[in-house]
Amino acid sequence: MSSAAQIRYLVRHAIRVEMRNKHGIAGLAVFAIAAVYTCYQATGMHAERESWNALAWVVLLFTAFNAVSKPWADDASNMRSFLLHTVKPQDWLLARILYYSLMLLGLGALIFAAFLLFLGMDPFTGSGALFFFLGIEATALALASLLAMIQALAARAGGGFSLIAVLGLPLIIPIILVSTRYGMDIMKGIAFGDTAHHLLFLATLTGGFTALGYILFPYLWRD
Amino acid sequence: MIQRSWKIGGLALLGYVLCMIFFVPLGPGLLEFTSTGSAGHVQDQDRKVTVYALTGFGTHWTESPDQLTVVLRHGTQLASLPLIETLDATHVLVGMDLPYTVPSKSWDVLVTHPVDGTLLLENGVFLQDRFIDEQTKWANPEIAEYPAELPFHFPYQPQILETIRNLMLHVPMWFTMFLLMGISFVASIRQLSTAHDLHQDTKAEASVQIGLLFGALGLVTGSLWARYTWGAWWVDDPQLNGALVTVLVYAGYLVLRATIQNIRLRARLSSVYNLFAFVILIILLMVLPRFSESLHPGKGGNPGFNSYDLDSSLRAVFYPAVLGWMMLGTWMYHVRLKASSIERKLRQLQ
Repeated sequence: MSSAAQIRYLVRHAIRVEMRNKHGIAGLAVFAIAAVYTCYQATGMHAERESWNALAWVVLLFTAFNAVSKPWADDASNMRSFLLHTVKPQDWLLARILYYSLMLLGLGALIFAAFLLFLGMDPFTGSGALFFFLGIEATALALASLLAMIQALAARAGGGFSLIAVLGLPLIIPIILVSTRYGMDIMKGIAFGDTAHHLLFLATLTGGFTALGYILFPYLWRD
Repeated sequence: MIQRSWKIGGLALLGYVLCMIFFVPLGPGLLEFTSTGSAGHVQDQDRKVTVYALTGFGTHWTESPDQLTVVLRHGTQLASLPLIETLDATHVLVGMDLPYTVPSKSWDVLVTHPVDGTLLLENGVFLQDRFIDEQTKWANPEIAEYPAELPFHFPYQPQILETIRNLMLHVPMWFTMFLLMGISFVASIRQLSTAHDLHQDTKAEASVQIGLLFGALGLVTGSLWARYTWGAWWVDDPQLNGALVTVLVYAGYLVLRATIQNIRLRARLSSVYNLFAFVILIILLMVLPRFSESLHPGKGGNPGFNSYDLDSSLRAVFYPAVLGWMMLGTWMYHVRLKASSIERKLRQLQ
Protein backbone atom coordinates (compact mmCIF):
# COMPACT_ATOMS: atom_id res chain seq x y z
CA MET A 1 0.00 0.00 0.00
CA SER A 2 1.25 3.47 -0.82
CA SER A 3 1.62 6.01 1.96
CA ALA A 4 -1.39 8.02 0.85
CA ALA A 5 -3.60 4.94 0.74
CA GLN A 6 -2.30 3.83 4.11
CA ILE A 7 -3.01 7.22 5.69
CA ARG A 8 -6.49 7.25 4.16
CA TYR A 9 -7.13 3.79 5.52
CA LEU A 10 -5.87 4.71 9.01
CA VAL A 11 -8.04 7.85 9.17
CA ARG A 12 -11.10 5.95 7.99
CA HIS A 13 -10.36 3.25 10.54
CA ALA A 14 -10.07 5.79 13.34
CA ILE A 15 -13.38 7.37 12.35
CA ARG A 16 -15.03 3.95 12.16
CA VAL A 17 -13.81 3.06 15.65
CA GLU A 18 -15.02 6.42 16.92
CA MET A 19 -18.46 5.96 15.37
CA ARG A 20 -18.80 2.44 16.71
CA ASN A 21 -18.73 3.92 20.17
CA LYS A 22 -20.30 7.35 19.87
CA HIS A 23 -20.20 8.41 23.51
CA GLY A 24 -16.64 9.71 23.21
CA ILE A 25 -17.34 12.28 20.54
CA ALA A 26 -20.78 13.05 21.97
CA GLY A 27 -19.15 13.69 25.33
CA LEU A 28 -16.80 16.21 23.72
CA ALA A 29 -19.68 18.02 22.03
CA VAL A 30 -21.59 18.19 25.31
CA PHE A 31 -18.47 19.45 27.10
CA ALA A 32 -18.01 22.19 24.49
CA ILE A 33 -21.63 23.34 24.57
CA ALA A 34 -21.78 23.21 28.36
CA ALA A 35 -18.60 25.29 28.52
CA VAL A 36 -20.09 27.90 26.17
CA TYR A 37 -23.29 27.89 28.21
CA THR A 38 -21.30 28.49 31.39
CA CYS A 39 -19.65 31.47 29.68
CA TYR A 40 -23.11 32.72 28.68
CA GLN A 41 -24.30 32.47 32.28
CA ALA A 42 -21.26 34.43 33.42
CA THR A 43 -21.30 37.21 30.81
CA GLY A 44 -24.92 37.41 29.67
CA MET A 45 -26.28 37.81 26.18
CA HIS A 46 -24.24 40.80 25.11
CA ALA A 47 -20.67 40.03 26.02
CA GLU A 48 -17.97 42.66 25.70
CA ARG A 49 -15.71 41.91 22.81
CA GLU A 50 -12.72 41.34 25.11
CA SER A 51 -14.55 38.64 27.04
CA TRP A 52 -16.05 37.20 23.85
CA ASN A 53 -12.58 36.84 22.39
CA ALA A 54 -10.97 35.44 25.53
CA LEU A 55 -13.75 32.93 26.23
CA ALA A 56 -13.90 31.64 22.66
CA TRP A 57 -10.22 30.75 22.65
CA VAL A 58 -10.27 29.30 26.15
CA VAL A 59 -13.21 27.03 25.30
CA LEU A 60 -11.54 25.93 22.05
CA LEU A 61 -8.31 25.24 23.93
CA PHE A 62 -9.91 23.17 26.66
CA THR A 63 -12.02 21.24 24.19
CA ALA A 64 -8.89 20.46 22.18
CA PHE A 65 -7.09 19.19 25.27
CA ASN A 66 -10.09 17.08 26.16
CA ALA A 67 -10.26 15.73 22.64
CA VAL A 68 -6.67 14.56 22.56
CA SER A 69 -6.71 13.15 26.07
CA LYS A 70 -9.22 10.48 25.13
CA PRO A 71 -7.52 7.09 25.46
CA TRP A 72 -6.71 5.55 22.12
CA ALA A 73 -6.64 1.82 21.46
CA ASP A 74 -3.48 2.14 19.35
CA ASP A 75 -1.52 3.35 22.38
CA ALA A 76 -1.74 -0.02 24.10
CA SER A 77 1.69 -1.65 23.87
CA ASN A 78 0.55 -4.84 22.10
CA MET A 79 -1.34 -2.77 19.52
CA ARG A 80 1.70 -0.58 19.03
CA SER A 81 4.00 -3.55 18.38
CA PHE A 82 1.54 -4.81 15.80
CA LEU A 83 1.29 -1.44 14.04
CA LEU A 84 5.07 -1.02 14.22
CA HIS A 85 5.44 -3.92 11.78
CA THR A 86 2.59 -3.01 9.48
CA VAL A 87 2.60 0.79 9.19
CA LYS A 88 5.31 3.39 8.65
CA PRO A 89 5.36 5.46 11.86
CA GLN A 90 5.32 8.71 9.87
CA ASP A 91 2.15 7.63 8.09
CA TRP A 92 0.58 6.75 11.39
CA LEU A 93 1.41 10.21 12.82
CA LEU A 94 0.07 11.97 9.72
CA ALA A 95 -3.12 9.93 9.96
CA ARG A 96 -3.46 10.86 13.61
CA ILE A 97 -2.88 14.57 12.86
CA LEU A 98 -5.47 14.39 10.07
CA TYR A 99 -7.95 12.68 12.34
CA TYR A 100 -7.47 15.22 15.13
CA SER A 101 -7.71 18.00 12.55
CA LEU A 102 -11.09 16.74 11.32
CA MET A 103 -12.31 16.36 14.89
CA LEU A 104 -11.12 19.83 15.99
CA LEU A 105 -12.43 21.49 12.81
CA GLY A 106 -15.86 20.04 13.62
CA LEU A 107 -15.65 20.97 17.31
CA GLY A 108 -14.40 24.46 16.39
CA ALA A 109 -17.42 24.97 14.14
CA LEU A 110 -19.71 23.70 16.90
CA ILE A 111 -18.16 25.99 19.50
CA PHE A 112 -18.38 29.00 17.20
CA ALA A 113 -22.02 28.29 16.41
CA ALA A 114 -22.80 27.94 20.12
CA PHE A 115 -21.01 31.22 20.82
CA LEU A 116 -23.04 33.03 18.15
CA LEU A 117 -26.22 31.51 19.53
CA PHE A 118 -25.64 32.24 23.21
CA LEU A 119 -23.28 35.20 23.41
CA GLY A 120 -24.57 37.06 20.37
CA MET A 121 -22.93 38.60 17.33
CA ASP A 122 -22.50 42.08 18.79
CA PRO A 123 -18.71 42.28 18.50
CA PHE A 124 -18.66 41.62 14.77
CA THR A 125 -19.11 44.10 11.99
CA GLY A 126 -19.57 43.18 8.33
CA SER A 127 -18.13 39.78 7.54
CA GLY A 128 -16.07 39.79 10.74
CA ALA A 129 -17.79 36.65 12.02
CA LEU A 130 -16.66 34.75 8.95
CA PHE A 131 -13.05 35.83 9.37
CA PHE A 132 -13.16 34.98 13.07
CA PHE A 133 -14.42 31.53 12.11
CA LEU A 134 -11.47 31.20 9.70
CA GLY A 135 -9.17 32.03 12.61
CA ILE A 136 -10.81 29.37 14.80
CA GLU A 137 -10.36 26.73 12.13
CA ALA A 138 -6.73 27.72 11.47
CA THR A 139 -6.08 27.50 15.20
CA ALA A 140 -7.79 24.10 15.32
CA LEU A 141 -5.38 22.83 12.65
CA ALA A 142 -2.34 24.21 14.47
CA LEU A 143 -3.52 22.67 17.76
CA ALA A 144 -4.13 19.31 16.07
CA SER A 145 -0.63 19.23 14.57
CA LEU A 146 1.04 19.94 17.91
CA LEU A 147 -1.25 18.02 20.26
CA ALA A 148 -1.11 14.81 18.20
CA MET A 149 2.61 14.65 18.94
CA ILE A 150 2.24 15.69 22.59
CA GLN A 151 -0.51 13.10 23.09
CA ALA A 152 1.69 10.36 21.63
CA LEU A 153 4.57 11.49 23.85
CA ALA A 154 2.44 11.53 27.00
CA ALA A 155 0.87 8.17 26.19
CA ARG A 156 4.31 6.66 25.65
CA ALA A 157 5.53 8.12 28.95
CA GLY A 158 2.44 6.73 30.68
CA GLY A 159 1.58 10.13 32.14
CA GLY A 160 -2.07 10.59 31.19
CA PHE A 161 -3.98 13.85 31.10
CA SER A 162 -1.89 15.81 33.58
CA LEU A 163 1.25 15.18 31.55
CA ILE A 164 -0.49 16.32 28.36
CA ALA A 165 -1.41 19.53 30.13
CA VAL A 166 2.05 20.11 31.61
CA LEU A 167 3.82 19.49 28.30
CA GLY A 168 1.18 20.91 25.99
CA LEU A 169 0.03 24.13 27.66
CA PRO A 170 3.38 25.96 27.49
CA LEU A 171 4.04 24.69 23.97
CA ILE A 172 0.74 25.94 22.56
CA ILE A 173 1.24 29.49 23.89
CA PRO A 174 2.71 30.77 20.58
CA ILE A 175 -0.46 29.57 18.83
CA ILE A 176 -2.73 31.19 21.41
CA LEU A 177 -0.77 34.46 21.36
CA VAL A 178 -1.24 34.74 17.60
CA SER A 179 -4.89 33.61 17.64
CA THR A 180 -6.04 35.95 20.38
CA ARG A 181 -4.34 38.88 18.69
CA TYR A 182 -5.98 37.97 15.38
CA GLY A 183 -9.39 37.64 17.04
CA MET A 184 -9.03 41.02 18.72
CA ASP A 185 -7.99 42.64 15.42
CA ILE A 186 -11.06 41.22 13.68
CA MET A 187 -13.33 42.47 16.49
CA LYS A 188 -11.78 45.92 16.37
CA GLY A 189 -12.86 46.05 12.74
CA ILE A 190 -9.37 46.00 11.26
CA ALA A 191 -9.49 45.01 7.59
CA PHE A 192 -8.87 41.32 6.97
CA GLY A 193 -5.94 42.05 4.66
CA ASP A 194 -4.12 43.92 7.44
CA THR A 195 -4.34 41.10 9.96
CA ALA A 196 -4.18 38.09 7.62
CA HIS A 197 -0.47 37.66 8.37
CA HIS A 198 -1.58 36.12 11.68
CA LEU A 199 -3.31 33.34 9.74
CA LEU A 200 -0.19 32.89 7.65
CA PHE A 201 1.83 32.58 10.83
CA LEU A 202 -0.61 29.96 12.16
CA ALA A 203 -0.27 28.02 8.91
CA THR A 204 3.53 28.19 9.22
CA LEU A 205 3.30 26.87 12.78
CA THR A 206 1.04 24.04 11.61
CA GLY A 207 3.49 23.11 8.87
CA GLY A 208 6.46 23.41 11.21
CA PHE A 209 4.93 21.23 13.94
CA THR A 210 3.86 18.63 11.39
CA ALA A 211 7.35 18.53 9.87
CA LEU A 212 9.00 18.30 13.29
CA GLY A 213 6.62 15.52 14.28
CA TYR A 214 7.24 13.73 10.99
CA ILE A 215 10.99 13.71 11.67
CA LEU A 216 10.83 12.85 15.36
CA PHE A 217 7.88 10.49 15.65
CA PRO A 218 9.79 7.32 14.61
CA TYR A 219 12.16 7.82 17.58
CA LEU A 220 9.23 8.15 19.90
CA TRP A 221 7.38 5.12 18.66
CA ARG A 222 9.96 2.37 18.33
CA ASP A 223 11.01 0.19 21.24
CA MET B 1 46.05 23.36 33.03
CA ILE B 2 44.08 24.63 30.06
CA GLN B 3 40.85 23.59 31.77
CA ARG B 4 41.79 25.42 34.91
CA SER B 5 42.90 28.54 33.07
CA TRP B 6 39.57 29.19 31.37
CA LYS B 7 37.77 28.79 34.68
CA ILE B 8 40.14 31.27 36.31
CA GLY B 9 39.74 33.52 33.27
CA GLY B 10 35.96 33.40 33.61
CA LEU B 11 36.09 34.25 37.29
CA ALA B 12 38.53 37.10 36.63
CA LEU B 13 36.21 38.48 33.96
CA LEU B 14 33.22 38.29 36.32
CA GLY B 15 35.23 39.94 39.10
CA TYR B 16 36.11 42.78 36.73
CA VAL B 17 32.47 43.04 35.59
CA LEU B 18 31.06 43.13 39.14
CA CYS B 19 33.60 45.79 40.19
CA MET B 20 32.65 47.88 37.17
CA ILE B 21 28.91 47.42 37.74
CA PHE B 22 29.02 48.61 41.33
CA PHE B 23 31.81 51.20 41.29
CA VAL B 24 31.66 53.02 37.95
CA PRO B 25 29.69 56.26 38.38
CA LEU B 26 26.88 57.33 36.11
CA GLY B 27 27.55 60.28 33.82
CA PRO B 28 25.77 63.61 34.23
CA GLY B 29 22.44 64.42 32.63
CA LEU B 30 19.49 66.79 32.83
CA LEU B 31 16.39 65.70 34.75
CA GLU B 32 13.92 68.55 34.23
CA PHE B 33 13.47 72.18 33.32
CA THR B 34 10.36 73.70 34.88
CA SER B 35 8.91 77.10 35.50
CA THR B 36 8.89 78.20 39.14
CA GLY B 37 5.98 80.53 38.33
CA SER B 38 7.67 83.54 39.93
CA ALA B 39 9.19 86.54 38.22
CA GLY B 40 12.76 87.60 38.85
CA HIS B 41 15.45 90.02 37.85
CA VAL B 42 18.46 89.15 35.81
CA GLN B 43 21.64 91.01 36.76
CA ASP B 44 22.52 93.86 34.44
CA GLN B 45 18.99 93.84 32.95
CA ASP B 46 15.94 95.82 34.03
CA ARG B 47 13.35 93.55 32.44
CA LYS B 48 11.44 91.11 34.62
CA VAL B 49 11.62 87.49 33.43
CA THR B 50 9.99 84.23 34.46
CA VAL B 51 12.31 82.11 36.57
CA TYR B 52 12.87 78.52 35.51
CA ALA B 53 14.50 75.84 37.62
CA LEU B 54 16.90 73.46 35.88
CA THR B 55 17.58 70.17 37.67
CA GLY B 56 20.56 68.07 36.72
CA PHE B 57 21.70 64.59 37.67
CA GLY B 58 25.31 64.09 38.78
CA THR B 59 26.38 67.47 37.45
CA HIS B 60 29.13 69.75 38.82
CA TRP B 61 27.63 73.20 38.46
CA THR B 62 29.26 74.63 41.59
CA GLU B 63 32.66 74.29 39.95
CA SER B 64 33.26 77.42 37.83
CA PRO B 65 29.58 78.45 37.92
CA ASP B 66 30.09 81.46 35.67
CA GLN B 67 31.08 79.23 32.75
CA LEU B 68 27.75 77.38 32.81
CA THR B 69 25.67 78.17 29.72
CA VAL B 70 22.00 77.25 29.32
CA VAL B 71 20.79 77.23 25.71
CA LEU B 72 17.43 76.54 24.11
CA ARG B 73 17.40 74.94 20.69
CA HIS B 74 14.77 74.48 18.02
CA GLY B 75 16.12 73.15 14.74
CA THR B 76 19.12 75.35 14.06
CA GLN B 77 17.82 78.28 16.07
CA LEU B 78 19.60 78.81 19.39
CA ALA B 79 18.86 81.13 22.29
CA SER B 80 21.07 81.64 25.32
CA LEU B 81 19.30 82.08 28.68
CA PRO B 82 20.72 84.27 31.46
CA LEU B 83 21.71 82.64 34.75
CA ILE B 84 20.08 83.95 37.93
CA GLU B 85 21.53 81.78 40.64
CA THR B 86 23.44 78.56 41.08
CA LEU B 87 21.82 76.84 44.07
CA ASP B 88 24.00 73.73 44.27
CA ALA B 89 25.77 71.23 42.03
CA THR B 90 22.54 70.00 40.47
CA HIS B 91 20.14 72.94 40.74
CA VAL B 92 20.30 76.28 38.98
CA LEU B 93 17.80 79.08 38.32
CA VAL B 94 17.68 80.72 34.90
CA GLY B 95 15.57 83.50 33.44
CA MET B 96 13.32 82.85 30.45
CA ASP B 97 13.95 85.90 28.27
CA LEU B 98 12.85 84.62 24.86
CA PRO B 99 10.93 87.22 22.81
CA TYR B 100 7.14 87.03 22.66
CA THR B 101 7.15 85.76 19.08
CA VAL B 102 9.02 82.46 18.75
CA PRO B 103 9.30 79.89 15.93
CA SER B 104 8.07 77.00 18.08
CA LYS B 105 6.60 76.16 21.48
CA SER B 106 8.73 73.13 22.03
CA TRP B 107 12.46 73.56 22.66
CA ASP B 108 15.38 71.31 23.53
CA VAL B 109 17.44 72.37 26.52
CA LEU B 110 21.22 72.28 26.13
CA VAL B 111 23.72 72.94 28.90
CA THR B 112 27.45 73.34 28.41
CA HIS B 113 29.88 73.31 31.28
CA PRO B 114 33.67 72.81 31.48
CA VAL B 115 33.37 69.65 33.61
CA ASP B 116 30.24 67.95 32.26
CA GLY B 117 30.60 68.88 28.60
CA THR B 118 27.35 69.34 26.65
CA LEU B 119 24.16 67.88 28.11
CA LEU B 120 20.83 67.66 26.30
CA LEU B 121 17.23 67.42 27.48
CA GLU B 122 15.12 66.76 24.40
CA ASN B 123 11.85 68.72 24.23
CA GLY B 124 12.74 69.91 27.71
CA VAL B 125 10.53 72.99 27.69
CA PHE B 126 7.10 73.76 26.28
CA LEU B 127 6.23 77.47 26.13
CA GLN B 128 2.50 77.98 26.44
CA ASP B 129 2.27 81.75 26.63
CA ARG B 130 4.03 82.65 23.38
CA PHE B 131 2.97 83.58 19.87
CA ILE B 132 4.09 81.17 17.16
CA ASP B 133 5.49 82.44 13.89
CA GLU B 134 7.54 79.81 12.18
CA GLN B 135 9.36 82.43 10.13
CA THR B 136 10.82 84.10 13.20
CA LYS B 137 14.60 84.12 13.24
CA TRP B 138 17.29 85.82 15.20
CA ALA B 139 21.04 85.69 15.25
CA ASN B 140 22.43 82.67 17.03
CA PRO B 141 24.51 83.56 20.09
CA GLU B 142 28.13 82.47 20.39
CA ILE B 143 28.29 79.41 22.60
CA ALA B 144 31.53 78.20 24.10
CA GLU B 145 31.67 74.41 23.87
CA TYR B 146 33.70 72.43 26.35
CA PRO B 147 34.92 68.88 25.96
CA ALA B 148 33.77 66.80 28.93
CA GLU B 149 36.47 66.09 31.52
CA LEU B 150 34.91 63.18 33.32
CA PRO B 151 36.41 59.95 34.64
CA PHE B 152 35.21 56.62 33.17
CA HIS B 153 31.42 56.52 33.54
CA PHE B 154 28.26 54.89 32.21
CA PRO B 155 26.06 57.05 29.99
CA TYR B 156 23.09 58.83 31.46
CA GLN B 157 19.77 57.71 29.93
CA PRO B 158 16.52 59.43 30.84
CA GLN B 159 14.26 57.28 33.06
CA ILE B 160 16.71 54.37 33.05
CA LEU B 161 19.27 56.23 35.19
CA GLU B 162 21.20 53.93 37.54
CA THR B 163 19.33 50.82 36.40
CA ILE B 164 21.49 50.80 33.29
CA ARG B 165 23.86 48.65 35.34
CA ASN B 166 21.32 45.84 35.05
CA LEU B 167 22.36 45.49 31.39
CA MET B 168 25.44 43.59 32.54
CA LEU B 169 23.40 41.24 34.76
CA HIS B 170 20.08 40.69 32.99
CA VAL B 171 21.03 40.36 29.33
CA PRO B 172 23.95 37.91 29.78
CA MET B 173 21.61 35.63 31.78
CA TRP B 174 19.52 35.09 28.68
CA PHE B 175 22.56 34.72 26.45
CA THR B 176 23.90 32.06 28.81
CA MET B 177 20.52 30.32 28.84
CA PHE B 178 20.50 30.33 25.02
CA LEU B 179 23.99 28.80 25.00
CA LEU B 180 23.04 26.08 27.50
CA MET B 181 19.78 25.25 25.74
CA GLY B 182 21.75 25.10 22.49
CA ILE B 183 24.16 22.60 24.10
CA SER B 184 21.14 20.62 25.26
CA PHE B 185 19.60 20.74 21.75
CA VAL B 186 22.77 19.34 20.16
CA ALA B 187 23.08 16.68 22.87
CA SER B 188 19.47 15.60 22.27
CA ILE B 189 20.05 15.26 18.52
CA ARG B 190 23.14 13.17 19.19
CA GLN B 191 21.22 11.10 21.74
CA LEU B 192 18.60 10.26 19.11
CA SER B 193 21.25 9.24 16.56
CA THR B 194 23.28 7.12 19.02
CA ALA B 195 20.73 5.13 20.97
CA HIS B 196 23.10 2.74 22.75
CA ASP B 197 24.78 5.30 25.02
CA LEU B 198 23.00 7.50 27.53
CA HIS B 199 25.83 9.98 28.04
CA GLN B 200 24.33 12.55 25.66
CA ASP B 201 21.05 12.36 27.55
CA THR B 202 22.82 13.17 30.81
CA LYS B 203 24.42 16.12 29.05
CA ALA B 204 21.05 17.37 27.81
CA GLU B 205 19.53 17.12 31.28
CA ALA B 206 22.45 18.83 33.02
CA SER B 207 22.47 21.75 30.60
CA VAL B 208 18.69 22.24 30.87
CA GLN B 209 18.96 22.27 34.68
CA ILE B 210 21.66 24.96 34.64
CA GLY B 211 19.95 26.79 31.77
CA LEU B 212 16.72 26.97 33.77
CA LEU B 213 18.63 28.46 36.70
CA PHE B 214 19.93 31.21 34.43
CA GLY B 215 16.46 31.68 32.95
CA ALA B 216 15.02 32.13 36.44
CA LEU B 217 17.76 34.65 37.29
CA GLY B 218 16.96 36.45 34.02
CA LEU B 219 13.30 36.70 35.06
CA VAL B 220 14.22 37.96 38.53
CA THR B 221 16.67 40.62 37.32
CA GLY B 222 14.22 41.69 34.64
CA SER B 223 11.36 41.91 37.13
CA LEU B 224 13.43 44.06 39.51
CA TRP B 225 14.37 46.36 36.66
CA ALA B 226 10.77 46.62 35.52
CA ARG B 227 9.71 47.61 39.05
CA TYR B 228 12.02 50.61 39.01
CA THR B 229 11.57 51.79 35.44
CA TRP B 230 8.04 50.71 34.47
CA GLY B 231 6.59 50.72 37.99
CA ALA B 232 5.34 47.12 37.99
CA TRP B 233 6.93 43.77 38.75
CA TRP B 234 5.40 42.27 35.64
CA VAL B 235 3.81 43.83 32.56
CA ASP B 236 2.00 42.20 29.66
CA ASP B 237 4.59 42.34 26.93
CA PRO B 238 5.48 39.90 24.13
CA GLN B 239 9.12 39.72 25.15
CA LEU B 240 8.24 38.98 28.79
CA ASN B 241 5.58 36.42 27.90
CA GLY B 242 8.05 34.67 25.62
CA ALA B 243 10.65 34.52 28.37
CA LEU B 244 8.24 33.14 30.97
CA VAL B 245 6.79 30.54 28.63
CA THR B 246 10.25 29.39 27.58
CA VAL B 247 11.08 28.75 31.22
CA LEU B 248 7.76 26.85 31.63
CA VAL B 249 8.46 24.73 28.53
CA TYR B 250 11.81 23.66 29.93
CA ALA B 251 10.27 23.04 33.33
CA GLY B 252 7.94 20.68 31.44
CA TYR B 253 11.05 18.89 30.18
CA LEU B 254 12.11 18.13 33.75
CA VAL B 255 8.57 17.03 34.67
CA LEU B 256 8.52 14.67 31.69
CA ARG B 257 11.83 13.16 32.80
CA ALA B 258 10.52 12.62 36.30
CA THR B 259 7.45 10.79 34.94
CA ILE B 260 9.30 8.06 33.03
CA GLN B 261 10.94 5.22 34.95
CA ASN B 262 12.60 3.31 32.09
CA ILE B 263 15.88 5.18 31.50
CA ARG B 264 16.22 4.29 27.80
CA LEU B 265 12.67 5.35 27.05
CA ARG B 266 13.23 8.47 29.16
CA ALA B 267 16.31 9.38 27.14
CA ARG B 268 14.45 9.00 23.84
CA LEU B 269 11.19 10.74 24.79
CA SER B 270 12.82 13.64 26.57
CA SER B 271 15.16 14.17 23.62
CA VAL B 272 12.16 14.37 21.30
CA TYR B 273 10.46 16.88 23.61
CA ASN B 274 13.67 18.86 23.96
CA LEU B 275 13.85 19.40 20.20
CA PHE B 276 10.29 20.73 20.27
CA ALA B 277 11.19 22.94 23.21
CA PHE B 278 14.16 24.50 21.42
CA VAL B 279 12.09 25.25 18.33
CA ILE B 280 9.50 26.93 20.58
CA LEU B 281 12.28 28.90 22.28
CA ILE B 282 13.40 30.24 18.90
CA ILE B 283 9.81 31.12 17.96
CA LEU B 284 9.00 32.77 21.29
CA LEU B 285 12.17 34.76 21.83
CA MET B 286 13.36 35.48 18.28
CA VAL B 287 10.33 35.41 15.96
CA LEU B 288 7.20 36.47 17.86
CA PRO B 289 8.60 39.65 19.48
CA ARG B 290 9.40 40.92 15.99
CA PHE B 291 5.75 40.44 15.01
CA SER B 292 4.43 42.59 17.80
CA GLU B 293 5.17 45.83 19.56
CA SER B 294 7.12 45.63 22.75
CA LEU B 295 8.17 48.00 25.51
CA HIS B 296 11.29 46.02 26.16
CA PRO B 297 14.58 47.88 25.55
CA GLY B 298 15.95 47.18 22.10
CA LYS B 299 12.47 46.84 20.60
CA GLY B 300 10.41 49.33 18.64
CA GLY B 301 12.46 52.47 19.13
CA ASN B 302 13.13 51.94 22.81
CA PRO B 303 16.70 52.41 23.91
CA GLY B 304 18.51 49.13 23.62
CA PHE B 305 21.50 47.61 22.01
CA ASN B 306 21.60 49.94 19.05
CA SER B 307 22.11 53.03 21.15
CA TYR B 308 24.35 51.27 23.65
CA ASP B 309 26.53 49.86 20.89
CA LEU B 310 27.84 53.31 20.22
CA ASP B 311 28.90 53.83 23.80
CA SER B 312 32.36 52.48 24.42
CA SER B 313 32.05 52.53 28.25
CA LEU B 314 29.11 50.12 28.23
CA ARG B 315 30.73 47.95 25.60
CA ALA B 316 33.86 47.69 27.71
CA VAL B 317 31.82 46.06 30.47
CA PHE B 318 28.97 44.39 28.56
CA TYR B 319 31.05 42.14 26.29
CA PRO B 320 33.25 40.84 29.14
CA ALA B 321 30.05 40.32 31.16
CA VAL B 322 28.50 38.15 28.44
CA LEU B 323 31.69 36.16 28.11
CA GLY B 324 32.17 35.83 31.87
CA TRP B 325 28.60 34.68 32.61
CA MET B 326 28.78 32.21 29.72
CA MET B 327 32.04 30.78 31.09
CA LEU B 328 30.50 30.50 34.56
CA GLY B 329 27.41 28.82 33.08
CA THR B 330 29.51 26.33 31.14
CA TRP B 331 31.55 25.59 34.23
CA MET B 332 28.42 24.99 36.31
CA TYR B 333 27.13 22.74 33.54
CA HIS B 334 30.34 20.70 33.62
CA VAL B 335 30.14 20.29 37.40
CA ARG B 336 26.47 19.26 37.15
CA LEU B 337 27.29 16.84 34.34
CA LYS B 338 30.07 15.23 36.36
CA ALA B 339 27.77 14.82 39.37
CA SER B 340 24.98 13.31 37.23
CA SER B 341 27.37 10.87 35.55
CA ILE B 342 28.68 9.70 38.93
CA GLU B 343 25.13 9.32 40.24
CA ARG B 344 24.22 7.25 37.19
CA LYS B 345 27.27 5.00 37.60
CA LEU B 346 26.52 4.51 41.30
CA ARG B 347 22.97 3.47 40.49
CA GLN B 348 24.28 0.95 37.96
CA LEU B 349 26.61 -0.55 40.59
CA GLN B 350 23.83 -1.03 43.12
